[in-house]
Amino acid sequence: MSAVATAIEPVEPFDAEPLDAGASGGAVVRRAVVVAGVPVVAVAAALAVGALLIAREGANPLAVYGEVLRGVFVAPRGLRNTAIGATPLVLMGLGLAIAYRARLFTIGAEGQFVLGAVVATAVATAGGVRDLPGWLLVPACIVIAAATGLVWSSISALLANRFNTSIVISSLLLTYVATAAMQWMIRVPIKDPASFVPASRVIGNAALPTVPGLHVHLGFLIAVALVPVAWLLMSRTRFGFRVDVVGHNPIALRANELPAGRMVVAVLALVGLLSGVAGYVQVAGVTDRINAEFSVDLGYTAIIVALLGRLHPLGVLLAGLGLAGLGIGFDVAERTHQLPSTLVGVIQAMIIIFVVVGDAVVVRLRARQERG
Amino acid sequence: MDVVLSVATLSAGVRLALPVALAALGALLCERAGVLNLGIEGLMVSGALAGYLVTDATGSPWVGLLAGLLTGAVCGAVLALVVVGLGANQIVTGLAFTLMAVAATSFIFQLSFGIGQNPPRIERIGMPALIVLTLVVLAAIIVVLRGTVAGLVVAAVGEAPVAADALGYHVARTRYVATIAGSAIAALAGAVLVCGPLGLFIQNVTAGRGWVALALVVFAGWRPLPCALGALLFGLCDAVQLRLQGTSTEIPYEVFLALPYVVTLVALVLRGRNSRTPAALGVPFDRRLA
Repeated sequence: MSAVATAIEPVEPFDAEPLDAGASGGAVVRRAVVVAGVPVVAVAAALAVGALLIAREGANPLAVYGEVLRGVFVAPRGLRNTAIGATPLVLMGLGLAIAYRARLFTIGAEGQFVLGAVVATAVATAGGVRDLPGWLLVPACIVIAAATGLVWSSISALLANRFNTSIVISSLLLTYVATAAMQWMIRVPIKDPASFVPASRVIGNAALPTVPGLHVHLGFLIAVALVPVAWLLMSRTRFGFRVDVVGHNPIALRANELPAGRMVVAVLALVGLLSGVAGYVQVAGVTDRINAEFSVDLGYTAIIVALLGRLHPLGVLLAGLGLAGLGIGFDVAERTHQLPSTLVGVIQAMIIIFVVVGDAVVVRLRARQERG
Repeated sequence: MDVVLSVATLSAGVRLALPVALAALGALLCERAGVLNLGIEGLMVSGALAGYLVTDATGSPWVGLLAGLLTGAVCGAVLALVVVGLGANQIVTGLAFTLMAVAATSFIFQLSFGIGQNPPRIERIGMPALIVLTLVVLAAIIVVLRGTVAGLVVAAVGEAPVAADALGYHVARTRYVATIAGSAIAALAGAVLVCGPLGLFIQNVTAGRGWVALALVVFAGWRPLPCALGALLFGLCDAVQLRLQGTSTEIPYEVFLALPYVVTLVALVLRGRNSRTPAALGVPFDRRLA
C-alpha cells in the first residue's frame, strides 16, 4: 500500500469486517471469532475491573453479579424491563451501525430522538386530534416522528454535501438546538396546565399498546422486527453494498454509479428516521409524557450499542439487550448490596473503552503479521 | 435591550466565556497537530472534579487548578497512546473517553461524599486572576504557534505528516506533546469552571461546554484569537439566556440557549471545510507505511 493511499484511507479498526462478507467454511468461523472476540474479551475485562471496584466497596463481586443475573432473569419484570430498556437503544443503534459502516460519523441521534418524541406528542395531544382512536393515532405518530427525525438528520447531510461541513460537529450542534426546542415546547405550547414544572401533556390515546402475553409495548416488537430487515438491507441489497463502498472508497462509487452525496443523504436520513421513531416509542411506551428528564443520553448510549454490536444488526440487538440488562440488573443489585448507583455507568463505559483499544491492538498485530 | 446590556450580564458573560475559551484553545492545539480530540468534554469534567477535590483537601484553589492541569496531562497521555501510538480511530476513541470520564467522575464524586452528606463549597479564585490566566494561555499559544520552530513543526505535522517525517521531524512525538498539552489545557478549563466563581462540583457541571469548544475551533478557523472571541460570544449568549429565565419576555429564553449553536452552525456553513483545516486532521500516521 502506498503512502498516499494510506493517508487517504487509513486502516480503521472497528469496521474491519462485516460478519457476512461472503466467505466459506473455516474462514467464516475464524472471522466470527475475530469479530466477536474483541467485544467478548472487552465485556469480560470490564466486568473484572467492576469486580475490583465492588470488592473495594466491601461487597462480594460474585454475589453482586449473581444478583444482577437474578435481577434480569428471575426477578418479576426483569426480562420485561430489559426488553423495554433495550428498545430505543436497538432502534437507534441499527441506524448508527449503518451510518458508521459508511463512515458517516453522526452523533446526533440524541437530538433526533428528542425532537421526534416532542413533535409526535404535540400532534397526538393537539385539540381535535387527541380524541381519535389509537389504531389511527399510533401509526400516524410513528410516521410523524420518523419524518421529524429524518428531516433533522438530513440537515447534516445536506450541509456536508453543499458546504463540506463536518458531520460530527453539525449533528452535535443540531442536537443542542433540538434540546432547546424541546425545552420550549414543554414549557409553553404543549405544557400540561396541571403541572408545576415544564412537562408535556400526557400522550393519551397515542400510547403504544402492550403485546398480549409478552407484557412489553409494541415498540419492542418493532425494534426486533427491524433487525432482520436491516440485516437483509445491508447484506442482500444494492443499498447495503453501496453503504460499504461509501465507507471504503467513495471515489469508486462516484466513478461507477452515483454521487456519494446522495448516499450520504440516504444514510443519514435513515439514522434520523429510526431515531425519531425511537423517541416516539419511548414517550408512548414508557414515559407517557415528556419532561426535562425525558432523555437520559440514550442517543449517546446507542453509539456504544452500535460499536459494541460490531456495526452488525444482530450484534446491535445483542449489545442493546446486554447493556439494558446490565442497567436493570444493577438497579436491583445496587439496592441489595448498597453500592453506588453510578457504578454500572463505569462498567458500561469501560466496555466500550476496551473495545476501542482492543480493536486498535488487533489491527496493529495483523498489520505486523502481514508485513512479516 | 437594557437587560442585554447591563453590566452584570456582561460580567457574567465573561465569566461563562473563560472555561470555554480555555477548552477551545486546548482543542485547537491538538487539532493543529492533526489530532481530532473529541475527549475535550471528558477532559473538562475530569479537570473539574480534580480541581474540586484537591481544593477541598488542600484549601487552595490554585493547587486545585494545578491538579486539574496534571489530571488533563495524564488523561492526554492515555488518549495519545491510543490514537497516536495505536493509531485507533480518533472519533470513536474521543467519544469513548468522554463517556468514560463522565461515568468515572460521577462515580468518584458519589464515593467521595456519602449519602445525605452535602458536598462542601470550596475556596474560590476571583475573576480578575482567572481572566489574566486565560489571557496568558492565549498569548502563550499564539506565540508558540506563530513565533517558534516548535509551532511550525506542529503545523507541519498537522498539514503534511509524510513530508514532515521525510524532513526528519518526529510526527508521533510532536502529536504526543500537542495532545498532552492540549488535553491539560482543556482539563484546566474544567478546573477554572469549578475553582472560579462557582466553587462547587455538581453532576453534569460542564453541561456540554467541551462540545461547544470543539465547534468554536472550527468557527474560528483554527486560529487562537478568534477562538477566544467566539467563546466570549458564547458566554454572552449564555448570560443573556440565564438572565431571561428569571423574567417573562416576548422572546423565549430557549432562543438564547440555542443561539450559540445556531451561530456556530452558520459560521461552519460560511466557512466550510476550508484551506485552514489542518489537512491531516483525524488521520493516523504510521511511519512504517509511509
